[in-house]
Amino acid sequence: MIELTTPLKEDIIRQLKVGDVVTITGNIYTGRDAVLPKIVNAAENGSLKNLGIDLQGAVIFHTAVSPAGVGPTSSNKVEIECTFEPLSKAGVKMHLGKGAISKETVKALAEQNAVFAIIPPVTALLGSQTVEKEIVAFPELGMEAFNRLKVVKYQAIIAAAKGESIYE
Amino acid sequence: MNNIIDKVSECLVRAGSTFREDQKTAYRNAIANEPNNQSCWVMQQELDNALVAEENRSPLCDDTGIPHLFLEVGPNCNVTGELLEQIKEGIAQGLRQLPGRPMAIKGDDNARIDQSGGLDEDSGALAPSPILIKPVKEDVLRLTVLMLGGGPAIRGVTQRVFHKHNVDVVIDEIVSRAKEGVSKLGCSPCVLAVGIGRSQFEATSLMMEAMVYGDFGKQSVFEKIITEKVNESNIGPLGLGGKHSVLATFAKVGPQRASGVRIVALRPCCCFEPRRASVEL
Repeated sequence: MIELTTPLKEDIIRQLKVGDVVTITGNIYTGRDAVLPKIVNAAENGSLKNLGIDLQGAVIFHTAVSPAGVGPTSSNKVEIECTFEPLSKAGVKMHLGKGAISKETVKALAEQNAVFAIIPPVTALLGSQTVEKEIVAFPELGMEAFNRLKVVKYQAIIAAAKGESIYE
Repeated sequence: MNNIIDKVSECLVRAGSTFREDQKTAYRNAIANEPNNQSCWVMQQELDNALVAEENRSPLCDDTGIPHLFLEVGPNCNVTGELLEQIKEGIAQGLRQLPGRPMAIKGDDNARIDQSGGLDEDSGALAPSPILIKPVKEDVLRLTVLMLGGGPAIRGVTQRVFHKHNVDVVIDEIVSRAKEGVSKLGCSPCVLAVGIGRSQFEATSLMMEAMVYGDFGKQSVFEKIITEKVNESNIGPLGLGGKHSVLATFAKVGPQRASGVRIVALRPCCCFEPRRASVEL
């Protein structure tokens, strides 16, 4: 098992390959359908800093954050998958969710030296491995707001890296 | 203190947080027999998750599901409006205790459809589905709470099959629909819930009954055939490949119409479903 700590460095990402099981420790962001397109807009108009967001080396976990906990939603929803490329260009190194993504997205990730990892929907386990959570931006979206989590050893498997996909 | 409200509340928390023993055994057997290491890792994570959830009495999944209720009524038992109100209150209290994901949609018909009215922050505001009532010979009043998540609802299908007077035709169609649903469901291995009846309502009711009574350790020949055929697809847990796309099939075949058509309800239940628990009231 490969132990990763955020923010993720370029050379660490370069070594990851499809099928690697990794642990993730440190601060990660969360977002899904409602908020990720807004984060893309913020990245493109240069307002991320005003929102208190630093995407360099970041992990974005596709989940809501509710009193019930966290768990991956399908990353191949249109409004989520279309954010892979622009958010990778803005510095995100790992997109964390579930489900098969398109060949175009796999290729776009490779071009930015970013990866897609899948995480089982293990809410109770993830709850025991989440030590802090706070809303960073767009609180009006409730459980779909942009959050920061401090996590310890979330387990995930690399599903897309270097232009290859685990689903092929 | 109200005895029925408390019992229903506790039952809901158990449904949302606990694997039954037959479910744990099914996972352990699958892990022991799965040659794909990545799929083993997924199933071990899911089993570990269940053990942590049970210990903490916390949700198995952050999509805590919509409460669906199944009430068995024995010959000398009475169902009153007051009882149904107490069950409803027990569900609300259980949702707050679990806690359920706050996902009751506010507003009028249109606002509830397009979600423009926002969400109620109270977990307990989530209305349960209508109660399905079944007369039973056992002299008991027993409520089963099922917590049904959104992913399987998206991939489920209730549709006719022209059976051509051959049960294999119906099985093959169920397998075909199941393979499509399982491949698109992110959270597997699945359990296939199947109801076969004379109308959409009846087939869906039978599918609910299958989820209430289904046992991983007691599979009929009909159920085993469906499970084995879907597992030939090699979809595997989370779509990572392997022998265990489906852990079991829970099927209920009801009375049938004198015609060339059968109505089949199919739900590819996610890796934690059927999240269910029962209580005698």
